[in-house]
Amino acid sequence: MKSVVTTVVTAADAAGRMPSASDLESVQGSIQRASARLEAAEKLAAGFDAVVKEAGNACFSKYPYLKQAGEAGDNQGKVDKCYRDIGHYMRLINYCLVVGGTGPLDEWGIAGAREVYRTLNIPTAPYVAAFAQARDRGCSPRDMSPQALAEYNSLLSYVIESLS
Amino acid sequence: MLDAFSRAAVSADAKTACIGAGEIASLKQYIAKANTRLDAVNAITSNANCIVSDAVAGMICENTGLIQAGGNCYPNRRMAACLRDGEIILRYIAYALLAGDASVLDDRCLNGLKETYIALGVPLTSQARAVAIMKASSLAHINETNTETQMTESNQMLQQRYNKMATVKGDCSMVSAEAASYFDRVISALG
Repeated sequence: MKSVVTTVVTAADAAGRMPSASDLESVQGSIQRASARLEAAEKLAAGFDAVVKEAGNACFSKYPYLKQAGEAGDNQGKVDKCYRDIGHYMRLINYCLVVGGTGPLDEWGIAGAREVYRTLNIPTAPYVAAFAQARDRGCSPRDMSPQALAEYNSLLSYVIESLS
Repeated sequence: MLDAFSRAAVSADAKTACIGAGEIASLKQYIAKANTRLDAVNAITSNANCIVSDAVAGMICENTGLIQAGGNCYPNRRMAACLRDGEIILRYIAYALLAGDASVLDDRCLNGLKETYIALGVPLTSQARAVAIMKASSLAHINETNTETQMTESNQMLQQRYNKMATVKGDCSMVSAEAASYFDRVISALG
């Protein structure tokens, strides 16, 4: 799982040396940003259901055709799965905020996602609409501190980039 | 390989749950302790040579048969291999202490270590004893309770062999318990 600490350890191990002063400095650097990340993760976990619901509503209001017969959301089961998937991405964003890298999203969310969506004939534009809504909706200081919001938004942008 | 943070992500993913306030509180502890953790890693890495050579010397003092002909630290080639192994084990312990998680130690060092030593005919009890001495001296370096070698009549030219840390004494006590657990992990893997 990629994070600052594991990257540093992998590099040191490949060279067969003890963690050097510069290794310790880069760990220290990531630790300094960590409190903002953990704040964002905590606030996201607290408001998780509301965030997912709002993001899911956004995609069906922007693309109402999805609920027509023969489309990706033509019965309640499919609609529920869309909300579930958005929840999965949000959960992985929560993990990434804690880890301090994009490892969880890369390994568990993004790898293979494009192929799966193509095979199942699911459009990715509605997901983009959902996450764009989540990104626009976040507000500082109402939801979290500016630094925390910046970390949260950059991960939402990362997901959007991977789906567009 | 995992660290304290990705460990939280992996165990939350197994439950398909978010990382909530409870787990985050314990990670905040890691962050609060981060500077003492880095000091502790630094105490080990800046004194690695001293820790390893003292441990191997101590192991041999207790069992001088090791350096007599036919012993496992005779000739120099095998003694060098022993010192090298001591340093490798200490290095992985330093990685684990930095990451706050034992997975790097388990995956990259301990996995198959005992079987390898058995196949090579290395005595496991001696190796475990060397690790135990490394544990004692590393903890002394981390906790700043280490002392200089005692002066003797025959040895008047002693110089300070280790890098005295300038941290507050006892400041790293929370991390030293964790460091001890990694040494114990190695000892039990060899047992």
